[in-house]
Amino acid sequence: MEPDQKKHKKPMNTLEHLKQTEVINVEVAGIDASLTNGTLILFLAVALVVSFYFIVGRKAKLVPSLTQSAAELILDFIRSEMLSPLGREGEKWLPFLVSLFSLILVSNLLGLIPGFVPPTSNINVTATLAVIVFFTTHITGLRKHGPWSYLKSIVPEGLPFFIAAFLFPLELIGQLARPFSLTVRLFANLFAGHAIIITLVSLIIIFKSFLIAPFPVIGNTAIMAFEIFVAFIQAFVFTYLSASYIVGALQTEH
Amino acid sequence: MESAVSAYLGAAISIGLAALGTGLGIGMLASKAMEGMARQPEASVNIRMSMIIAIAFVEAIALYALVVSLILATK
Repeated sequence: MEPDQKKHKKPMNTLEHLKQTEVINVEVAGIDASLTNGTLILFLAVALVVSFYFIVGRKAKLVPSLTQSAAELILDFIRSEMLSPLGREGEKWLPFLVSLFSLILVSNLLGLIPGFVPPTSNINVTATLAVIVFFTTHITGLRKHGPWSYLKSIVPEGLPFFIAAFLFPLELIGQLARPFSLTVRLFANLFAGHAIIITLVSLIIIFKSFLIAPFPVIGNTAIMAFEIFVAFIQAFVFTYLSASYIVGALQTEH
Repeated sequence: MESAVSAYLGAAISIGLAALGTGLGIGMLASKAMEGMARQPEASVNIRMSMIIAIAFVEAIALYALVVSLILATK
């Protein structure tokens, strides 16, 4: 490609609005730990979630107020949808799953405010969450069953030996693929939604005409509404899958 | 073919085929779920819940392809 031709054909960067820009420069022991805009929004999300549950929990009444019933709705939903197979044992998993759900939901929704980057559209954030879930699952499984019977419980019970030996590596790969699929599902959903929004907006620049403007406006309104739906669904799916992994690791097959 | 051209072509083909497959998959899922809901309206809450989870699984495959094609296109 010729140099001048390349300048004209340079693709528009659809990822520009999701770029992390450094706001506060911090360096800890030679490691760059600068606070980017994504980090600050993640801190804001954490502060919102913590203060919401703190305020609601401190003034809990028998007859719930509006905010308290919202919190109870989330708790009851997660308890009945995800933790019902565990029974009373599931109660101690409720705080973990509720905080996971609330953090993902609030960070997804914060990203819809113009000028804000959703923290979950950065693959590092979702990978961290998925790795936390991965280690939580396997450490609880190991502590509950012991190493040998936990390894055996990966393969379904009651299979002939050679089929079990064949299935074991496949199931092991499946276990290791779980954090990867959790990571990419959440990250790509958020990322793709915002990429669609910027693409629709830049149609005006591509066509160099304001007559095209009604289409991006209507399209973006629809996409934004869909993004709110996606924010809830993805938070739910991430929490649901984490809960099912934990339930699967805790339950005895025999 | 130049490498840039083939990268763009690869990006377009990957997201196109993934969208085709995912569209078919979600269509089948939703049609079967709606048949089930019409047959048993009392089970529609459970069916809808599992349908949404299954759709999220299917959708993720298209999004993997989207990530691949974005990597190719911004190369």
